[in-house]
Amino acid sequence: MQPVPSSGPDLESVGAAIAHATATLDSLAALGEDVEDEWQYVQDLSDAWLTRWREVGAERGAEPLSPAVATAIVLLSAEAARITDPHRAIDWLSTFPQAVLVALGERA
Amino acid sequence: MRFQDAAPDARAIVYAGIQADPLVGRAATLLADATWEQRVLARAAMNGESTEPEPWRAMFPTLFAADVDPVARDRSEAILAASLEVADRGEQARSQFRGAIVESLTELLLRRRLTGSPATTVRRERRVLFDGVRGEIHPYDVTVELPGAALAADCKWGARGISADVLHQLDDARTHAADEEERLDVALVIFDAGRSCEVRLDRQTAPRDGTRIVSLESLDDLASGRWPA
Repeated sequence: MQPVPSSGPDLESVGAAIAHATATLDSLAALGEDVEDEWQYVQDLSDAWLTRWREVGAERGAEPLSPAVATAIVLLSAEAARITDPHRAIDWLSTFPQAVLVALGERA
Repeated sequence: MRFQDAAPDARAIVYAGIQADPLVGRAATLLADATWEQRVLARAAMNGESTEPEPWRAMFPTLFAADVDPVARDRSEAILAASLEVADRGEQARSQFRGAIVESLTELLLRRRLTGSPATTVRRERRVLFDGVRGEIHPYDVTVELPGAALAADCKWGARGISADVLHQLDDARTHAADEEERLDVALVIFDAGRSCEVRLDRQTAPRDGTRIVSLESLDDLASGRWPA
């Protein structure tokens, strides 16, 4: 696998990865809220996935992160940040947390 | 209870072209044997912005790292390539391709459960008719037309596709079948996380107890003998 240059914060632990991803999830939710009919769903979806991430953080927060996983979290966040359409943001509100969990070796 | 081909309207004719695209069949075949992680990769890449494979490989190190089993890595590469082809079709087309892929995947998995049955046992775009009941306009995406073990399934790319209309149509079909003393299992196949589906369902008041929700994590149940009971 060719190394992919990444820019962004150095994520040294699972807890740091989750904190970084949480900021991205908040941005996706803010964008998704533009779809007025789905405001409640956006809140519920965001809360549900944050709850799942917090469970992971509570168990593994201090665990060191490998460089490959840290890069994955940064790139996944960057990919999510490229979404500008509110409807796609709602789709990514579900996709992004799953991808983060895959990177961390967790189940959904 | 009887099954009937849906009358093709203009939308259906256009959509049939998408369904017949070789990319749909290729992606569905790959996803039928995929792991949950590989299906998440497909979901992300088909609806992502990056159309080059390299960033995706780095986003999914558990699938592409050097120490991953080569057979599994090759499958991940093939899934990624197909997913990026879908993404590359443009915003409107990719949405139609994704839907068609979920339908095709559902058909493939159901056929595995019914190995040995005639090919016409599993059908696409079919209506279910009942005596004295006005037929639904929208056909079911996939049906299993086996006496005593019939199934009607609707397929959705994401949990957001779960709506009151869809739940009502499925439940109505199930109860009308029961009124005729027939068994019709109904399912919603969602290419999304079960957690997201539950969030969507939590605020629905439409009946759902008799509808099986098949999510990204439980897709393989379609191919196994675990369901219907």
